Amino acid sequence: MSISCSELSKVYEGGKAGWPALLGVSFEIKPGEFTAVTGPSGCGKSTLLNILGLLDEPTGGRYLLNGRDILEMSDGERSDFRRDQIGFIFQSFNLLNRLPALGNVCLPMMYAGIQNAEMQHRAHALLAKVGLKGKEKKTPLELSGGERQRVAIARALANSPKIILADEPTGNLDSASSREIMDMLLQLNAEGITVIMVTHDKELAARARRNLRMKDGRLEA
Amino acid sequence: MRSLFNAARTGIREIRVHKMRSVLSFMAIAVGSVVFIDSFAAIFSTYDRLQKQKEVSGIARLKITQDYNQTSADPDQYTPPPVITYDDAVSLKSKLPGLYMVSPEFQSWRNTLEFEGKRVVTTLAGVTPEWAKRDFVYTLKGRFLDWHDVENKLRVCVLVRKAVPPPTNELNKTRMKQWDYTAAFDVLVSHSDMLGKTIKLDDVTFTVIGILEELPASRAPDIILPQNRDYKVLAPVTTLAHYGFIDEENDSMDLSVDAGDENNFGESLKLVENFLKIRFGGDESFLIDNQMEMIKDAIDASIKASLVTISLGMLAFLAGGIGIMNVTLATVFARTKEIGIRRAVGASRGDIMLQFIVEAAMLGLIGGVLGSVLGYVWGVPVKEMLGLGRSPIKLWMPAVSVLIATFTAFVFAIYPAWVAASLKPADALRTE
Ligand SMILES: Nc1ncnc2c1ncn2[C@@H]1O[C@H](COP(=O)(O)OP(=O)(O)OP(=O)(O)O)[C@@H](O)[C@H]1O
Ligand SMILES: [Mg+2]
Repeated sequence: MSISCSELSKVYEGGKAGWPALLGVSFEIKPGEFTAVTGPSGCGKSTLLNILGLLDEPTGGRYLLNGRDILEMSDGERSDFRRDQIGFIFQSFNLLNRLPALGNVCLPMMYAGIQNAEMQHRAHALLAKVGLKGKEKKTPLELSGGERQRVAIARALANSPKIILADEPTGNLDSASSREIMDMLLQLNAEGITVIMVTHDKELAARARRNLRMKDGRLEA
Repeated sequence: MRSLFNAARTGIREIRVHKMRSVLSFMAIAVGSVVFIDSFAAIFSTYDRLQKQKEVSGIARLKITQDYNQTSADPDQYTPPPVITYDDAVSLKSKLPGLYMVSPEFQSWRNTLEFEGKRVVTTLAGVTPEWAKRDFVYTLKGRFLDWHDVENKLRVCVLVRKAVPPPTNELNKTRMKQWDYTAAFDVLVSHSDMLGKTIKLDDVTFTVIGILEELPASRAPDIILPQNRDYKVLAPVTTLAHYGFIDEENDSMDLSVDAGDENNFGESLKLVENFLKIRFGGDESFLIDNQMEMIKDAIDASIKASLVTISLGMLAFLAGGIGIMNVTLATVFARTKEIGIRRAVGASRGDIMLQFIVEAAMLGLIGGVLGSVLGYVWGVPVKEMLGLGRSPIKLWMPAVSVLIATFTAFVFAIYPAWVAASLKPADALRTE
């Protein structure tokens, strides 16, 4: 799964001229890379990640995902891409509090139409893999921040994605939990998954193979 | 199919979690259902009643009466209009055998009836067996007049009895006596067994061969014609003429006619007019009352009233649908974050739409079922208890109302679901 961006720009609607968040960003990411995106608050990191994850559209430039121009994809194709190829991890976890951990992990598989038994089996295995064996029935509200983020990782892995997009995955966690989550991401990367991670943490960024530094909507050299 | 199942599962969970909100929204639809079932049952009973009315009253009715209101320029030139006699009725029937009923009717008021020493005031009607062919809303004990009675001018009669026997003490109320001068007759007939006995009508002895008992109000089919049927004693018209109750020179009879076929009504009307012209000459001494028009107007009015009722039912559903739309829209805004999360893990626009539509349709379904149950409870046991008479609820009425309820919810959920599906995933995720 390759990512190729050229002159990506994003202007948010609002105000008279809108708010420019990305001002021409070009880079490539090869399959299997571990990239950390850093930069000061408001420089456009989340904006970039949303575009990479097909949650939002650029207002200019080109974004080729696996060689395909994402602007030419239908909503259904983009949804399928998100479901099958991309796993998201957010700073605020973004779990459904009404569902138990198991249900949250099952969600992407539900939309993939996977049979119930298979789905349950895989969800259990994934939760075990992130170290949450025995906590399948707990809802996010009954879990600690670190545990919640591990549920989110298990969910991101549900449909065996090629890419993991993590937007400040450790932003809400203490340093011990942060290190665990980072270890997990490195492990996944070692298993062949491309990881793009936004972080403010210099130490974590240093553990990534590649760093993209942003400032005011542009990449720094 | 699978996504439908998943959407249904999510929907059930959401409905369970938001009990209050769900109850409120399906109650709105349920009320719509109740009104709908009630109005449908009302329409059905109107239709039923109309059918019965048509059966009992016929449609192609007309009535011939002497025109009492003739005026003449010169009072000295005034000649009384000709009178219709029993023979005219017989001759009309033989000239126009296609007519279903030709009933000569003569009514006389304030006759006296004497039975076992009691004397009461009554009304007396001269009729033939034809009389019983239409608007017969009685149960008969004994027998009715037959042609043998008529042809032989037999002194036999039939009495009309009230459905609910009036209590004897009613008579003591003087007011009653004043405006209901046959009240004493009603009491007498209700409280004595007169079948087969002899009575005296204005000093002529008659045998009571039958009792016509009026049907209780709940079982009596309405008759469409608003005519005065205040008959108390019926006797052969020929007998009454023979014994001087009718002065055949001066007393004109009414002819109540049923042409039998409403399609040929116009033609029958012309034939009858023609008959009268030949029989009595060209002057217009008779009124021919076209009762079919009246009957049709009455039927049309009933049908219009039903349409008003059913549009009320529809309106109730509309209100329920708007309620569902409102709730679904609120749900969409309350669950924007969830929509974002679902989109991020791969739900398509269609998946999101399906989720909200299925959830709303389930609310509609629950509302429809609940409304059907309430509609039945209201229409049968409650209405019966309140003495309103049970609604004729047919099985298809709740079935249709459940379908409409579900469909209404479905239709009204489309817009909110579309709003939900149109949210950009990134925007939806950003909300708190
Ligand atoms: N939906 C939006 N509408 C308008 N402006 C927006 C929107 N989202 C982000 N912005 C603006 O775009 C710029 C980039 O925002 P973005 O969220 O990408 O920053 P970020 O680098 O992720 O910051 P942080 O490190 O604080 O998360 C900011 O100035 C922000 O105010
Ligand atoms: Mg951010």
